[in-house]
Amino acid sequence: MPAPGMQILDFVEWAAGWCHHQVHNTSRCAIEAAFSTKISPRRKSKWHRDKVYANLSYLTMVLPGAIWLLLFSYLPMPGIILAFKHYKLARPPADSLIKNTFIYSLIKSPWVGLNNFKYLILPTNVNATLMYLRNTVLYNLLFMIVGLVLSVALAVIIFELKSRFLAKVYHSIFFLPFFISWVVVAYVVYALGSFNGVINNFIVPLGHAPIEVYKQKAVWPFIFLLANVWKYTGNGSIIYLATITTIERELYEAAAIDGAGKWKQFVHITLPHLTPVIVLLQILAVGRILGSDFDMFYTLPNGSAFVKDVTYTLDIYVYSMLTSSLPIGYPAAAALVPSIVGFVLILVTNAIVRKLRPEMALF
Amino acid sequence: MQPKSESLIKFFSRKRKQRDMLALPAGINAFYTILLGILCILTLIPIYVIVISSVTSESVLVTDGYRLWPREFSTRAYDFLFARGSIVVTSYQNTIIATVAGTILAVLMVGFYAYPLSRPNFKFRNFFTFYAFFTMLFSGGLVSYYMVTRQILRIQNSLWALFLPSAFSPFWVLVMRTFYKSNIPNELIEAARIDGANEWQTLFQIVLPLATPGLATVALFSAVGLWNNFFNCLLLVDEAKYYSLQFTVYTTLNNIRFLLENADKMPGIVNISELPSQTFRMAMVVVTIGPIVAAYPFFQRYFVRGLTIGALKG
Repeated sequence: MPAPGMQILDFVEWAAGWCHHQVHNTSRCAIEAAFSTKISPRRKSKWHRDKVYANLSYLTMVLPGAIWLLLFSYLPMPGIILAFKHYKLARPPADSLIKNTFIYSLIKSPWVGLNNFKYLILPTNVNATLMYLRNTVLYNLLFMIVGLVLSVALAVIIFELKSRFLAKVYHSIFFLPFFISWVVVAYVVYALGSFNGVINNFIVPLGHAPIEVYKQKAVWPFIFLLANVWKYTGNGSIIYLATITTIERELYEAAAIDGAGKWKQFVHITLPHLTPVIVLLQILAVGRILGSDFDMFYTLPNGSAFVKDVTYTLDIYVYSMLTSSLPIGYPAAAALVPSIVGFVLILVTNAIVRKLRPEMALF
Repeated sequence: MQPKSESLIKFFSRKRKQRDMLALPAGINAFYTILLGILCILTLIPIYVIVISSVTSESVLVTDGYRLWPREFSTRAYDFLFARGSIVVTSYQNTIIATVAGTILAVLMVGFYAYPLSRPNFKFRNFFTFYAFFTMLFSGGLVSYYMVTRQILRIQNSLWALFLPSAFSPFWVLVMRTFYKSNIPNELIEAARIDGANEWQTLFQIVLPLATPGLATVALFSAVGLWNNFFNCLLLVDEAKYYSLQFTVYTTLNNIRFLLENADKMPGIVNISELPSQTFRMAMVVVTIGPIVAAYPFFQRYFVRGLTIGALKG
């Protein structure tokens, strides 16, 4: 009796053949239609025909992904004009070419120039906008620097440990939080930090005033930093550890014979080898400096309004405006700024890197 | 230089040489071993607190609060979990469907999209590489994404909303492209072509079997991403019957915190004893992370590989 797996393989084989047959036929028909003539094998060389078929098969392979990108990434791009319009709902008349209400309304809505952006810097809003901007940038810088230092340190220490078994166990444990969702971390914050949480149960009997995480602003930068380090350090160290393992041992041995200690070996051998990876990851991070880990900033504070000033980032700000009753142009304007700034920043950093060290540039 | 992923796997699987001139002095090694050991315990504490409070008896949790070692254990929360709120069962089902469907789609679409990009004889190679890469640099922003998905694609309030927006990723396309390039020799593909295989046969019979480790990585990352996904549901789902697990878990915590904090302001409206018990909620979280933590040791190798292959530039 054949294994059940075999049937699947047979099916795949059959499907592949069928797909090929279809492509083969359609491409032939398409070519014949295009030239309104039958292609005789003699007139077009076999080589040329193979090339056309190959490219057509490749195009079919690319097609599903290309459609997805079109729908979920490219289709929203023209939508940025929302930021420059006063969006008003308009029903398309029966004879209209455009049947979709959103597209029709978008086209019919009047242009308002930079009016939507002005809302963000109105005297009543400017403080909030600047505060959320500050939060976004500072949190990102903090995570970038602390994350980089700790990830590299962890990678180096794990590499140096004598016991490979322990190295593996430790690494597995540090990597684990990466797979745990922010929602779960929100429960952890609650279980540890709420009024009858673990931390208060420790410190209150010692005579310390209880900590109320959902009401105290000062604790949030620490919570976010801790949560971020907890979740991403193990993950971040993998790429550095992998790079360190490819460095040739002879380099270190030569350095050790010449009297270089561990620190000097790190500075003069390990660090230069890690630089390309560090630069690459930092370019990407700089491009995201106005973005933020939405799930973390949204779920950990649990919607507490008391700590808004230190937990809101631009993304959360945009989302809160989007779900409020404000005209949709305002959040659109607020969302456009990070998009454009991120795009420009990544081009600029990449251009600088390409000038200094062409081999390290992203593109 | 050997590929990073292979060298990392080798690193973990090999023993250190007995006499290694580069080895740390015993004292420093012991210090680091203990330091990392303590940090590991600290890393595991949050997960431990959740698990332990889910098996604490409810009355003890109410009187003592959350503790590292409760006075009384109970597994009643788990008995209630699937019998009580049907919303947990529904969202569990939704998440399982979304994870399976999304993962299959992701593997197929990424695997198919990346292969031609790795082939030098594909005429539109550069165009489609840029077409995917550009979306990593620039996006239309949240608001227009929200309008497009809701008003044009109309996937809101359906199971589609939970996985379709996450079913493809240009990042994984670039990783897979590098994987194909570095792991599948061009000669092999050409040999297949000469033997008369067409592109689809080459893909299914030669390339994909050899690319299984790479595809497994894509599958696992997208499965974890879908399982943990919160944002799709927040943005696109308003009806409880399509809630994802993460969203249900979050809403429960959110509602309860709000009610508890405002209980004194709304006397008579909130009856605290009617709220889902605290142990029940913690059990819900344990069930949420359970499958991932259980599967983690078996798949960790693939995750590690996934983070080291490609790294965009290969």
